[in-house]
Amino acid sequence: MFTIELEKVRKSYGQFVAVDGLSFKIEQGSVFGLLGPNGAGKTSTIRMMIGITVPDSGGISVFGRPFTRDCLNRIGYLPEERGLYKKMKVLDQLEFLGQLHGLSGADARQKAGAWCERLEISEKLQSKVEELSKGMQQKIQFIAALMHDPDFVIMDEPFFGLDPVNAGLLKDVMLEVKKSGKTILFSTHRMDQVEKLCDSICLINRGAPVLQGSLQEVKSRFGKNHIQIQYEGDGAFLENNPLVKSSNNYGNYVELQMAPGADAQQLLRMVTERARVSRFEMMEPSLEEIFKEVVGKADA
Amino acid sequence: MRNIYLIARREYLERVRTRSFLIMTLLIPVLMLGVTVVPTMIANRVDGGPKHLIVVASSQAMGDAIRAELEGGRGQRDRQELEKNVKRGRNQTGPPRFVVDVDTNAGAGARAAFTERLKNKQINGVLWATSDALAAREVTFITSDLTNLTENFGIQESLNRVVRQQLLKGKGMTDEEVAAALRPVELKAQSPLGAGAPNPEVLFLSILAMVMVLYMAVFLYGINVMRAVLEEKTSRIMEVMLSTASAKEMMAGKILGVGAVGLTQVGIWVSVSAFLSGSYLMAGADMLKSLMSIKVLVFFAIFFLLGYALYATLCAAIGSIVNSEQEAQQLQFLVAAPLIVSVVIMVNVIQNPASQLAVWASLFPFTAPLIMFVRIAVQNQGPPSWQIALSVALLAATTYGLVIICGRIYRIGILMYGKKPTLPEILKWIKYA
Repeated sequence: MFTIELEKVRKSYGQFVAVDGLSFKIEQGSVFGLLGPNGAGKTSTIRMMIGITVPDSGGISVFGRPFTRDCLNRIGYLPEERGLYKKMKVLDQLEFLGQLHGLSGADARQKAGAWCERLEISEKLQSKVEELSKGMQQKIQFIAALMHDPDFVIMDEPFFGLDPVNAGLLKDVMLEVKKSGKTILFSTHRMDQVEKLCDSICLINRGAPVLQGSLQEVKSRFGKNHIQIQYEGDGAFLENNPLVKSSNNYGNYVELQMAPGADAQQLLRMVTERARVSRFEMMEPSLEEIFKEVVGKADA
Repeated sequence: MRNIYLIARREYLERVRTRSFLIMTLLIPVLMLGVTVVPTMIANRVDGGPKHLIVVASSQAMGDAIRAELEGGRGQRDRQELEKNVKRGRNQTGPPRFVVDVDTNAGAGARAAFTERLKNKQINGVLWATSDALAAREVTFITSDLTNLTENFGIQESLNRVVRQQLLKGKGMTDEEVAAALRPVELKAQSPLGAGAPNPEVLFLSILAMVMVLYMAVFLYGINVMRAVLEEKTSRIMEVMLSTASAKEMMAGKILGVGAVGLTQVGIWVSVSAFLSGSYLMAGADMLKSLMSIKVLVFFAIFFLLGYALYATLCAAIGSIVNSEQEAQQLQFLVAAPLIVSVVIMVNVIQNPASQLAVWASLFPFTAPLIMFVRIAVQNQGPPSWQIALSVALLAATTYGLVIICGRIYRIGILMYGKKPTLPEILKWIKYA
């Protein structure tokens, strides 16, 4: 069962092609990362998923059926361009947004109260939004996206501008949402922030997909060819070494990428002959490194 | 539908609860009163006691006649006013306006001396009414209140009467005959509907007041819609809203919500004024009743709603394409211009409700809400039915077309941040189905 399926979706604004032949499926109960640099077409894609704009061609199915506006009550959306009515009280605001998502007034107030308690801002329920700090406003928006208990949650740059404590708090909530069987889509250009949360990803650049699949699959495709070494001695031999493709030396600490087909054991032997090794670790590349490599290639 | 209701309700409650709603509800009638009544009151005000005038006349008899007219007669206009007040049960004689001294020394030295006294504020004016001056019908009035036109007009009227009295007396008429000859005629304009029809002055002022309410309601609430859309754009809540409601629902909800605020405000004014006129102005209440015929009230409602819908839709589209209050102000003239034109030609239309200008302006959709209403309220038989029907039909059709066009602009405009779109871009949005 897929929560959402995109089939060769294309969207252009005049001459500019924002999304070009994008296809992906998100399995129910999984966390999906829609990743890419600024202007890659992430927000354009999301807007089509919730019917704000209509694709020029291609199909979008939500909860197993072609998109209709009825689906919106089962979707929660935290947009990147986020805002609240500044003069409204927090509780009234959440009640209003909850009602728009199909909750009754009383239900919405009760849920708003419970969520605010959970996110540690219940003392602000009667405050006007303009009196709140930015972080608090972000929590309110977070609640607005989740309070109607949606089956599919879309978060565009969810941790942008949050301090580590609040980011952690929201991350924990997202993990609980995931545990309860909901589907989550994260869209971000800060890949380090979602790497640990995502089950599968789709990397897009200039509106087109460049890499997609489960996180494990993507990472294994790029292999464990990154190595960190901590050592004492002369590391000059690592320069121009046929086993090494590129390296970044900090004196007694080096990060390097192996040449294709090189054997890590051979490198380890070479190092132990010339220096005292305190750490030798084979690493998976981070998403960011993968992204740089893929996009760099595509742009070259 | 539920979304439209929820959005309209939020808009309504948030606006009605604000302090500015309360202030505006109280302030606008006060302001209107201020604009119409206060200047008249100030103009008619008698500054601290009667004014001291010197009448320079060739003979004591002529001087006394002028003095009697100025001190006692208080001018013909005042006398009519007095009679009206007596009829209304308000017997208000008030203090005399002038204290007059007569001087028969008309030499050049006397004139210089009086002018000096005037400069020293010992007297308020010198009326140079020598027999030569009266014969030439050109009397010099040296006064420190040069621009007090009503007062000067009253003095002129008094002089006119004295001259005529003296002329008639010179022909050998008795005092009674002179009084009978000089009795003024009062013109009583009456509508063909009969005696129950309102007094024309009251009619004129009431229509003016109703049209001003119409104008302010359409303009102010239209601008409010623009602000509301702009506020959602600048506070970036637009996209949150769009994830649950369509652009059409948002636009409709906004227009209905702000419109309901307008109806509430107008409703408060109407019921308060009805209450006041009911309890305090019993005499005026009859007139008000005959003026506020069911027909006029129904057309007030029709033109209020259609006019508001037309302008509010336009305002919503403008609100969606601009990014700041400053940009919005630049485009407000699009809305204000036809309304101001309406108000400018309105006075002419009240006087000539069947003129060509009136007919065309009452058919043109952007001036129709005010001008057609004026014609219906002024003309007793009203304009021809086909003109009313055509005017309403054109207005409704234009509003409908504008809703579709502005809906398209709105849908795209609200998602556009940054630079203001150019006209070709907006035209492209409209074509974009």
